[in-house]
Amino acid sequence: MLRANAITKRFGRTLALDAVDFEALPGEIHALVGENGAGKTTLMNVMAGSLAADHGEAILDGRPLQAGSPRAALAAGIAAVHQSPMLFERMTWEENLALGGFDTGAGALDLDAIATRARSLAAKLGFEMPPAGATVENRSVAERVRLEVLRALSFNPRVLILDEPTSVLAPSELTAFLDLLRSLRGEGRIVVLITHKLAEAIAVADRITVLRRGHVVARTTPAQTSEEKLAGLMIGEIVTQPVASATPSHSGDPVLQIENLTLDDHTGRRILDRLSFRAAAGEIVGIAGVDGNGQTELVEVLAGARRPSSGKITVLDGSSGGAMAVIPQNRDLDGLILDMRLWENLILARPLREQVTSHGWLNTSHAIDLCRELIDRFRIRAPGPETIAGALSGGNRQRLEVARAIASRPRVIVAHNICRGLDLAATAEVHRTILDFATGGGAAILISSDLDELLAICGRLLIISRGKIRETNPGERDPERLGLLMAGARD
Amino acid sequence: MLSSIAKPFAALALAAALISIVLAALGASPVGVFAALGEGAFGSWYACVDTIVKSTPLVFTGLAVSLAFSGALWNIGADGQLTIGAIAAGAIGPHLGNFPHAIAIAIILAAGVLGGAVWGGVAGWLRARRDVNEVISTIMLNFVAVQALSWVVHGPLMEPSHAYPTSSPIARAAQLEFYFAPSRINLGMILAVVLAAACYLLLFRTGAGFELRAMGCNRRAATFFAVRIPALTFWVMALSGALAGLGGAVQISAISHRLYEKLSPGWGFEAIAVALVARLNPLGIIPAAILFGALDNGSQAMQRTQGISPELVQVIQGLVILIILAFDTPAWSGLRENIFGAPHDAAAVPPVAEMPDA
Amino acid sequence: MLEAFLTSAITMATPILLAALGELLVEESGVINIGIEGAMLAGAFVALAIAYFSGSIALGLAGAIAAGVAINAIFAMLVVNLAVNQVVTGTAVSILALGLTGVFYRKLFGVTGKAFMVAPIAKIPLGPLARIPLLGQVLFNHNGLVYFTFILVPALWYVIARTRYGLRLRACGERPEAADALGLGVIAIRWQALIVSGALTGLAGAFLTLAYANTFVENISAGRGFVALSVVIVGRWNSWGLAAASVLFGAAMALQFGLQALGTVVPYQLFLALPYALTLVVLAGFGGQAAAPSALGEPYRRQ
Repeated sequence: MLRANAITKRFGRTLALDAVDFEALPGEIHALVGENGAGKTTLMNVMAGSLAADHGEAILDGRPLQAGSPRAALAAGIAAVHQSPMLFERMTWEENLALGGFDTGAGALDLDAIATRARSLAAKLGFEMPPAGATVENRSVAERVRLEVLRALSFNPRVLILDEPTSVLAPSELTAFLDLLRSLRGEGRIVVLITHKLAEAIAVADRITVLRRGHVVARTTPAQTSEEKLAGLMIGEIVTQPVASATPSHSGDPVLQIENLTLDDHTGRRILDRLSFRAAAGEIVGIAGVDGNGQTELVEVLAGARRPSSGKITVLDGSSGGAMAVIPQNRDLDGLILDMRLWENLILARPLREQVTSHGWLNTSHAIDLCRELIDRFRIRAPGPETIAGALSGGNRQRLEVARAIASRPRVIVAHNICRGLDLAATAEVHRTILDFATGGGAAILISSDLDELLAICGRLLIISRGKIRETNPGERDPERLGLLMAGARD
Repeated sequence: MLSSIAKPFAALALAAALISIVLAALGASPVGVFAALGEGAFGSWYACVDTIVKSTPLVFTGLAVSLAFSGALWNIGADGQLTIGAIAAGAIGPHLGNFPHAIAIAIILAAGVLGGAVWGGVAGWLRARRDVNEVISTIMLNFVAVQALSWVVHGPLMEPSHAYPTSSPIARAAQLEFYFAPSRINLGMILAVVLAAACYLLLFRTGAGFELRAMGCNRRAATFFAVRIPALTFWVMALSGALAGLGGAVQISAISHRLYEKLSPGWGFEAIAVALVARLNPLGIIPAAILFGALDNGSQAMQRTQGISPELVQVIQGLVILIILAFDTPAWSGLRENIFGAPHDAAAVPPVAEMPDA
Repeated sequence: MLEAFLTSAITMATPILLAALGELLVEESGVINIGIEGAMLAGAFVALAIAYFSGSIALGLAGAIAAGVAINAIFAMLVVNLAVNQVVTGTAVSILALGLTGVFYRKLFGVTGKAFMVAPIAKIPLGPLARIPLLGQVLFNHNGLVYFTFILVPALWYVIARTRYGLRLRACGERPEAADALGLGVIAIRWQALIVSGALTGLAGAFLTLAYANTFVENISAGRGFVALSVVIVGRWNSWGLAAASVLFGAAMALQFGLQALGTVVPYQLFLALPYALTLVVLAGFGGQAAAPSALGEPYRRQ
């Protein structure tokens, strides 16, 4: 039995886990569900040994696990497949697996024997293996997931923890994967499945634990719950009514035009595939998609951080102000410079910088005044414009980013997962701001993996899947159908 | 503000303590050595002035290094950039005899600026367009510059009698004269101070300086905000090189008057210590340069009276850099993080649950 | 003439190659050590001092190893444990070593300017092999350190490319977070690489004073440590490539002496500058850095 006792973990000022208890039994699939940012990955890292908790301990079969030592966890029989890739890109897949459990550790390193063992296990699981000697670099995402699962299984673990393994799998691969989990359960192992996909959790799990903002809020079974109930537990309240009515589409002049945007990475893989869409003044357009289908790269291209291989982005410039404001997903790393002060973060936005600069000279006091004004207007809780951005709480950092975007008076705002990790009140506030912006004549593009959020506020919905964009029928609002489209099903 | 001054002092104190251990191992008296250093640096009017003279090249190279470091561009090549600037100055200097004094000075200094800018710009271009790590490229260029200097003083620029490996002396018109002779105070020092102020304004009062600092703090985020990284990289490295090159030209014009091998006793590396002690603030470069210039100056006296060779100064430089780095690391600020509760090093924080906003 | 030149090339190449092989280990683990120059200098000085005062070459070599390891340990503490900027730390370590060796040299040997000579390490001609015309003298009539370096090239290639340990080493340089998640122990492996490298670099320095110059002068390494860094790059992080690059650069250095003597039109400085210029060309033109370990130079800290 795998137990986690009163695990508490802090990162700086943020409390990621607050005295969390967790338990999983042999021969069971235990789903750990929660929104992004609820603490699931942190809990997994503690149990797999890659993170040391501040308080509490993990116990396997009555024996406490050495904290912060992945080696100890592996030796005890806990293997994890992480959400972020943990493969060695430039090594061959055989070498990658050799660092797992296929290597007996005795005698000279025998890559051929390792490959043979790997292939036989893969055959049993119905996995296809890459050609001999191929490096991991050029493998597809699904192949990588398979390799990581294989490597984890090579340790013959008592416990297998998987963090969001299905988010990049196609529907056809999904069924096979869930069957795999069932067969592992049949062997008496403990399977912990971390996911935010409630349908899968209900389909395959024996028990479900729900995390919300670092706390366990429910322990249940599929028989006793439903997707709606779980969703409610995850968010804290069932959102039945939208914050405000969604605006009708095509209400104004076209403002943003994306034509045949294509992006290939350095290995030649196509990440964005002839993306085309447009947005009109007053529109809130949603782009729904599972993470990893090109959204991050699309945002990078729109922000100018990355040059597309081909294609055109046109913002039809009207009044003053910059053309497009982008709020990236990773607010701490990409959207803000945490070591700099608030007013300095504010003038990162080019239009604002130009506003306080004349002939190259920066008018510091003007910038500080502007910052103070925005702090008041957007109710950012901060001591003042000279505060270091890193000292702000996450919610206030988000307010700063939204404030900056609005203040630069763009024609288009592009936001990626803008409400991730925010509580209900903060989310409502952000939605209100976006709606006000649209009403005022701007266009908003919201890229998100949260279908419910998009359905609540967007007038028009697009689906992004494997770098391609497709429109949905106006009025098409069935989450299940849309979810299938997001997962890549063909019409 | 107070803590930002306290840190370098703490580092210097710790360095002094460690040096004392080394000195004891050598059988010398730490107190005696430090006293000799102080005496040699500030013991007389002439000594003080000479300290200023020795500090001047450190201001130029220190500014070069701190400007580049502010953009996270690790310019280890200030020595090479200074050398090339000196070569340019030394090459054109002998031919300036017929120019009016002010023009000759302007030309010789401009040559230094240009030479250094080119040398820095090469490294900048390699980083911007070919993604070549500037650490490696500037170190390599240092050595190429040393060889270039060796070549010119043995070859094309060698003085006419071919007796010694030096270049022809620069024309009188191109020489920065001394004020209050026999002291060696010259215009170069004033220029250095003015440039320090200019660099401060550039870094903290211009849009370009802001972009530079943004790039240095978080390169990736900067790309999201229309900061043109390749162009900025190139120009910053060129400017950095220009400052170092100017320092080289000032040395030639004011002090050496001709080229010879081993022109720089390691000013480019000493500049790293200077920049770190100044915490990359251009105004702080001046006192930091004076500190290390004092050490350089005092080391002669130290050798005479205490029998410790001047290389001790390099031990001090190395120790100071190591100590400052050790104090300023994420691990250390992680410690501060728990004590004072201030968040730091966001790169380590994965997306997590938020605390409720009170 | 040719024989002397080639022999000299090998002699010049040896300390560079020895240090470069050590640096290869370190870089494969993901760390770039600019302090290699300092470790070489420290090894050179300690080897001479101990050999001179004790009369034993063996003790001198042992001292050199200890000195190299000590310098690298300082570097490791800052860079591996505290995850500090590797570049600036390495530079500082080199400056520190330059200063320390200078100060101690003057104290121990005075400023008389008289060179303190030590008997060179004996050459060991390899019997019948040494009698092969030309190649025999060039390759098989050297001292033990040279032979050791010869053997090290294939040995290190095998260890890095074919053994379990080499795999773990490369994993650390490729993606340290993943390596740690697999329980490989990135910090321990990087320390090991730096210690072994310190020993090798110290020996390289010892070669300079005990086999080559037979004395110590200030800054005797004269940038050879940085040439070793170049060798790793030009040699594309591969033992055999390193060997080839070292011989190339060693030949260039040998050539410059000959040219100085002959007084030809071609400036000998060109050959001294060759290693550095070539490195730049390789890096700029031939995607040099693409062959580097992915995580090279990035500070890494366990959560």
